[in-house]
Amino acid sequence: MQFAAGAVGGALFTPMPWKLAEDTAIWSQNWSWRPSPEDGEITSVATTCQLCAGGCGITARLVDRQRAIMLQGNPNHSINDGGICPLGASGVQFLYAPYRIPQPLKQTGKRGDPTGLKPISWDEALSALDAKLTELRTSGNPHRVAAITGQSENSMHRLWQQFSTAYGSPNLFTMPSPADSQKLAASLVFGRQAPLGFALEQANYVLSFGAHLIEGWGAPGRMQVTYGRWRDEKPGSAKTRIVQIEPRCSVTAANADEWIAINPGTEAAMALGIAHVLIRDLLYDADFVSNHAFGFDDWQDAAGKTRQGFKSFVLANYPPEKVTELTGVASEKIKELATEFARQKRAVAVWGSGNGAGPNNLYDDLVFLALNALTGNLGKSAMLGLTPEVPLGALPAPTMDGIAQRGLAQQRLDLAPKPNWPLPGNGVHAFLEAIGTNPAYPIDLLLIHEANPAYTLPGNQIYYSAQEKIGLVVSFSSYLDETALLADLILPNHSALERLDDVCGLPGVPYAYYAIASPILPPQRNTRHTGEVLLGAAQGIGGSVAASLPWKKYDDYLQERVQGLAASGQGAIAEYREIEPWRLQPGDSPELFYRRPPTEGNSAEQKTPESLQKTRTVQAYWKKLTGGMYWYDAPVNVLKNLATPSGRYEFALQNLQGKGMAADEDRLYLPHYHPLAPSGDEKDYPLLLISYRMLSLSDQFLANPPFMTKTLSDDLLQGQDLFLALHPQTARAQGFSAGDRAQLKTPQGEVAVRIHVSQGARPGALFIVQGLGHTAYDEYIQNKGVNANEIIEVQMDPLTGLATTWATRAQLRRA
Amino acid sequence: MKAEGKSGKSVRTGGVVFFFAGFIIMMVVGWVVFPRLLYSEKMQPVQFRHDIAEGHSECEDCHRFRDDGTYSGIPSLDNCRQCHEQPIGDTEAEKLLVREYIEKNKEIPWLAYSWQPDNVYFSHAAHIKRNLPCTRCHRDVNKEGKAPPYWENRLTGYSRNTMRMVECEKCHAEQHASNACQVCHK
Repeated sequence: MQFAAGAVGGALFTPMPWKLAEDTAIWSQNWSWRPSPEDGEITSVATTCQLCAGGCGITARLVDRQRAIMLQGNPNHSINDGGICPLGASGVQFLYAPYRIPQPLKQTGKRGDPTGLKPISWDEALSALDAKLTELRTSGNPHRVAAITGQSENSMHRLWQQFSTAYGSPNLFTMPSPADSQKLAASLVFGRQAPLGFALEQANYVLSFGAHLIEGWGAPGRMQVTYGRWRDEKPGSAKTRIVQIEPRCSVTAANADEWIAINPGTEAAMALGIAHVLIRDLLYDADFVSNHAFGFDDWQDAAGKTRQGFKSFVLANYPPEKVTELTGVASEKIKELATEFARQKRAVAVWGSGNGAGPNNLYDDLVFLALNALTGNLGKSAMLGLTPEVPLGALPAPTMDGIAQRGLAQQRLDLAPKPNWPLPGNGVHAFLEAIGTNPAYPIDLLLIHEANPAYTLPGNQIYYSAQEKIGLVVSFSSYLDETALLADLILPNHSALERLDDVCGLPGVPYAYYAIASPILPPQRNTRHTGEVLLGAAQGIGGSVAASLPWKKYDDYLQERVQGLAASGQGAIAEYREIEPWRLQPGDSPELFYRRPPTEGNSAEQKTPESLQKTRTVQAYWKKLTGGMYWYDAPVNVLKNLATPSGRYEFALQNLQGKGMAADEDRLYLPHYHPLAPSGDEKDYPLLLISYRMLSLSDQFLANPPFMTKTLSDDLLQGQDLFLALHPQTARAQGFSAGDRAQLKTPQGEVAVRIHVSQGARPGALFIVQGLGHTAYDEYIQNKGVNANEIIEVQMDPLTGLATTWATRAQLRRA
Repeated sequence: MKAEGKSGKSVRTGGVVFFFAGFIIMMVVGWVVFPRLLYSEKMQPVQFRHDIAEGHSECEDCHRFRDDGTYSGIPSLDNCRQCHEQPIGDTEAEKLLVREYIEKNKEIPWLAYSWQPDNVYFSHAAHIKRNLPCTRCHRDVNKEGKAPPYWENRLTGYSRNTMRMVECEKCHAEQHASNACQVCHK
């Protein structure tokens, strides 16, 4: 007792207890789970973001050039003007995510078993791929190899095309995009397959048919900046007026000058009602219609039969009173919008189908195009055009040996044995459906690049049933996503910030754009650029395939492309923030806006055509482009060299007849309201389920990073529960109140949800967000909410066979 | 009674002895054994001699400030490589430097004597601006022919030389600098 008391007393006269108390506090600073910022030199690298196709200029902040800390908008890049979207701001999380694939993996167990994925060396992985490719080719079955890539407009996609052609497979697909149907619509009305571009920077009136302008539509960075400029109050110029027509009070609708809550899926009818008023009241551009258009008046087809023209068709079928019945919008409102739309010189109609991620109903695209054409948007004001092709160095014509020729002579699997659609497009959905049902021939090898169809495809079950029939599935994903988990072999690509890639053209932008995304830091894992893997595979196969892809490295290939760009003599590199390519009208020279304002030590600079020509060397281009600058050129005049049968813009689609579509009904050749009815009985499924996207929730190839999940509100995701938005009236009628648990059932499936009562939802409709409900990845991503793609209905467009989505019949039951 | 008294006294004496025994033992433990137990002695991975860092008379020549004003701390391997791409002389330390680090392009894991925990925000620039000599906080290395041992605290993982908060506060008070919490703990 005394000894203990003495010991305590003694201890108190030593530094021991005080030191221990202090050290315990400092000890907490070394707990392994407490993040500690890396110390070192802070540097900044400029590059182009490739987390989506928006082509924003970004700068990465690095410590000692090795550790990425954050991404910011590049203030010298005028497209996004220093801004960045939530995905870009969270971009660094993709580099260090626990679900990254550290090295090649091979499935040793049953497909889909994560424990069966065993690490293998790159040599083993590449020889396994080479062996399969060679085996299928030598056995005369190159068409049994298929590839799906998530990159549709850049040089990597061009390399896939080259590989696929030289190898001998017609089965190359990209992931669905709104451009899929727009390109086909453009091929009908302009005779050229190119994505559409809108001169939104010039607009002073925007009529948006469900286009989520500030929530990811088109190029998100460009849209945010443009939207900001619309809202700027400047002396001498009126504020741009935005009218949003859609059934949900989205962020775009809430911020618009006017929101018109229309019946779901009737936007095209509304556009035709407006067209009716324009035609009836002679508010359309008569000069354009008489000099540059075909089929406005009645016309004669190739067989000499007189067909109804757009004018009489619209006048007869879409009077505002009738449109009111369809859309639920008062006829007075339709007339008012038509008058406003016609009165503004720079008014433009934009649209986005369903949730805006995939292709549209083709007739809808045609209707909205016609509405723009009526007010002369294609002519004088050039508010709508086609995204110009970037004059990059052309690839050598692929040499095709007999095997390749025989392979390519096979019909693409979605069109075999004969096409079901007059105007087939990128039929990735139909392709997977064909594999799963009764294919004309089997697919023995499927290559998947930068895509996660098992999660992102609407009606994603189709991928699960298709993969069961595929011999070998190879994924190039850098992340252990749902599709990679179902692969037999994973050859991980570098992540977006670690690899060299490019951006050719911006979605929804009418001027030409090209940028290079260069790596911001060395690869963090044992990964390889898929471009290099593809070039290596071509060499491994040898012969004509190797000859068609002669580059040793992907860098060489891309440099050759840029060499072509420099040699083309077109466009210029945007070196300063002040260069604003959207000011260029079709036919303008880029030097017009090549103006450097005076800065310290430099006088103002204005380039001449001659001085600009001197800068067009491959070395200068490569250096500037890999340094985060972009190349630009003026839009093209779409009315020049129209490749349609009439040589004019076609209101009546003669090209459809050329595609073998012989129809009695005149309206089939005209843009008209053609809703694709959702399946299921209205009595059993009284509600309509509509999915939507958010800018702060990534629903495509990249899973929503934890930074962004943190920003989701409690009425969208609480714990693991997903909330469905419905109108108070609908909630009452169905017997639900806010926060209730419910079972949501559609003809496609059933899921558990909770109820969010919102005035912003159109009565009778249910709104579900896209991007949640992952089953793969890691604990920070998976099992949060529900994947909307599992329960929404896909409808094949009858003209194009593209998988469209807009609404699904649904019922709610108390859980 | 007497016997009882005697035995009571001896118990008390015994108690005092025990008390002092405990007291002294803990004093020894606290002053002598504890510090030895608490710290482990480590040597720098490469013996660096500050006294022959020729031509560099000022600390800032090597321990420089970057262009953005941040302090670079211990020079990186690139700095060593400028002269030591090939071994200079044939000391063990020299061979080790070239063989293990420069040839393998591996940063030297120097042991920093004065590293502050993450919850302390410390700016060298602010202190240099007040013309405080480096030796106000760091040892004078001008004549140092051998890097001293590094005493690592087994509990905290930090160096024994890591400056205590009380020392920061004392100097701040002397210099009339703010001692508000947020000055150092951001």
